[in-house]
Amino acid sequence: MSLKDLLSPFFVWQRAFEKPYTTIRPTLDRPGAPAYRGFHINITDTCVGCGSCHEICQNQAIDMVAVDKYVGRDGDSGLRPRFDYGRCCWCGLCVDICTAASLRMSNEYAWISEDPDSFHFTAGIDEKPWQDNELGYRRAEGYHLYPPKRIEMELLPPEESVKSFDEVTLGYSEEQAKKEADRCVECGICVATCPAHMDVPDYIHSIRDGDYEKGLKLMYRTNPFPGTCGRICTRKCESVCPVGILGEPVAIRWLKRFIVDQVDKKDYKRILDEQIENSDFKVAIIGAGPGGLSAAYYLRQQGHAVTVFEEHESAGGMLRYGVPSYRLPDVELDKDIDHIISIGVDIQYNTKIGQDIQFEKLLEDYDAVFMSTGLSVPSSMRIHGEDHKRVLSGLQVLADVASGRDPGIGKKVAVIGGGNVAMDAARVSRRFGAEVTILYRRRISEMPADAEEIHESQEEGCKLVQQAIPVEILDADNPEQVYIRWGEARMVDDPKGGRPRPVLQEDRMHTETYDCIISAIGQGSNLDYLCKEMQDKLAIEWGRFTPVEYQHTTLDKVFVGGDFANRTADAISAIEDGHHAARGINRFLNPEVYLNAERLNAEQLNELTGEMT
Amino acid sequence: MNTVEEILDYAIEQEQQAADFYEDVAQRAETAGMKKILLDFSEEEKHHKKILQSVKNDEHKLTPEQEVLDLKISDYLVEVEVSENISYQDALIIAMKRERAAYELYTDMAAKIPSSHLREVLIGLAKEEAKHQLFFEAEYDERVLTDN
Repeated sequence: MSLKDLLSPFFVWQRAFEKPYTTIRPTLDRPGAPAYRGFHINITDTCVGCGSCHEICQNQAIDMVAVDKYVGRDGDSGLRPRFDYGRCCWCGLCVDICTAASLRMSNEYAWISEDPDSFHFTAGIDEKPWQDNELGYRRAEGYHLYPPKRIEMELLPPEESVKSFDEVTLGYSEEQAKKEADRCVECGICVATCPAHMDVPDYIHSIRDGDYEKGLKLMYRTNPFPGTCGRICTRKCESVCPVGILGEPVAIRWLKRFIVDQVDKKDYKRILDEQIENSDFKVAIIGAGPGGLSAAYYLRQQGHAVTVFEEHESAGGMLRYGVPSYRLPDVELDKDIDHIISIGVDIQYNTKIGQDIQFEKLLEDYDAVFMSTGLSVPSSMRIHGEDHKRVLSGLQVLADVASGRDPGIGKKVAVIGGGNVAMDAARVSRRFGAEVTILYRRRISEMPADAEEIHESQEEGCKLVQQAIPVEILDADNPEQVYIRWGEARMVDDPKGGRPRPVLQEDRMHTETYDCIISAIGQGSNLDYLCKEMQDKLAIEWGRFTPVEYQHTTLDKVFVGGDFANRTADAISAIEDGHHAARGINRFLNPEVYLNAERLNAEQLNELTGEMT
Repeated sequence: MNTVEEILDYAIEQEQQAADFYEDVAQRAETAGMKKILLDFSEEEKHHKKILQSVKNDEHKLTPEQEVLDLKISDYLVEVEVSENISYQDALIIAMKRERAAYELYTDMAAKIPSSHLREVLIGLAKEEAKHQLFFEAEYDERVLTDN
């Protein structure tokens, strides 16, 4: 080696004192183009954590993570997207799919950090200087990756529908159902909100695949009334569907109905293929409504001998005797009920507990008892003249019609109330050719009835008078008629944040004569089958139960569910109560099995947690 | 009744009588649930009594000028009988009507009394009763008139 070669490294050091030829930092005086797809911005208060961005990302650059600021609730998973800029290619698909339009991109593109982990961040939560940038990529207004409008359900025209009790909704065609199913982003926000936690994304996916048998099996995991719920569910799922934020929610109820409509009843047994090993336990169920039969189905699956005691001659409870057949045809209700019976559920019809069999006898003869007798007693208005023979209860009118009896309503009817029973009674009256006026104390927007029911009742010609308070019922000149006095109400806000309250204006009174008045202001429970001591033991308040864990009551063997044990009083909640009670009864009957299973689960969870840390 | 003290003593006695009334009905109620509700009503009346006692002791002021909302629910409801199997709806009706009657009593007395000072006190008491009526009417509106 020459001397020059030996010394040359030392000469290089001279350069250390010269001005550098490269810049230390990139130049920052060239901002990104106005619609540049730069670093992400998330408006986290608007984001609902649906995870559509995570699903669509082709580079798996987005994870949904829990953040301190948000907790899961109806309509919000509580998660927020976390970006990995080692993977992101800034394609902007996440922005295009964002159901809440909360995700956007700034025009910022320079980010210098010596910490490689910092390029993994939760937009909108981890503070970044570009969070408030006005410029950057936004989804163009009106541009959607999925159609914002749902596929409309075809209905019988109102002038036709009032002529018969034929089903008003006609159902989706396969093409319509697939198009509607394509609007689902499969986020699963609905699963948490559905009282029965139905696996909505997967059964909708089965429509895309054309695999309706799979869809049916998925639905039966948590709901043995899919045909019924596909028609009359209160669809809390749709109220939280993120697709509904910028457009209309996915028509989950109609898609559920579509699956059921595609499968022939005779194939249910083969498809659902419940494998039942009989146990030694016997369970009694009081009431063959949705709650009772749901419990019966899941208890029978566990092998228990299940006997349902029903006071009417047919099963279904309010679904049969309260919901008119133009909304839920008997044949569709029977499709659900017949399958429940087919797995070995025994129903004792025309059997009234407290009369034909005493409740105490059930406690003696059975290992557990589930009560689900609903709200079957119409509330009384307690106004003068209410006992007039031309004042009928909405529940009675609906039960008469369901049983094929003439409700005797006449040709000019006033319906009092704003719930679903009132709407059903009004629409049934229209089908009997009556001119119908609905009197409601509050405003239409405050009606507890389903918005669709309200709309359809008006379409069918029911006149809806809001802010009308009935004060008195009197004899009319014709003994077959009745005279009602009602006053207009003004609405006053409730300072405590409750529903606005109607206040009668006594200088604005009206009178009218009707052939009958149908009262439908609410329902209460009938617990006459329980003696007073039993009612005390069961800690009933205001005619309702407050069950503890797994629908258990204060009595060892007794479980409750359905309208008289929940606050929502709808079929899907009763169905879940029944399912939940079935799990509770199983735990009660097999405590060791369940405790062991829970212990094992806890141990597995601990192991997993240990591995992760 | 010629003095503020006498009027307040009368009102306090009325609240105690109301509390006793609900306790008596509670004793006769057939179910534990209804018993509890009626005893809650009795407690509510005792609370009213305490307020009036604090007015008497100058620790609290009546508010005769305060406007109290009248939902007018009780005015058009029929009278109900007290019975062993009284329902929650009927218990509320009884409570609303009792408060209404007390309101009307104080209002009538105020209209007849010559002293403006005593009139103020009676109107203040009437407003207290109107507040109690509103409490029960709001409960009725919320729990009984669910679909209406």
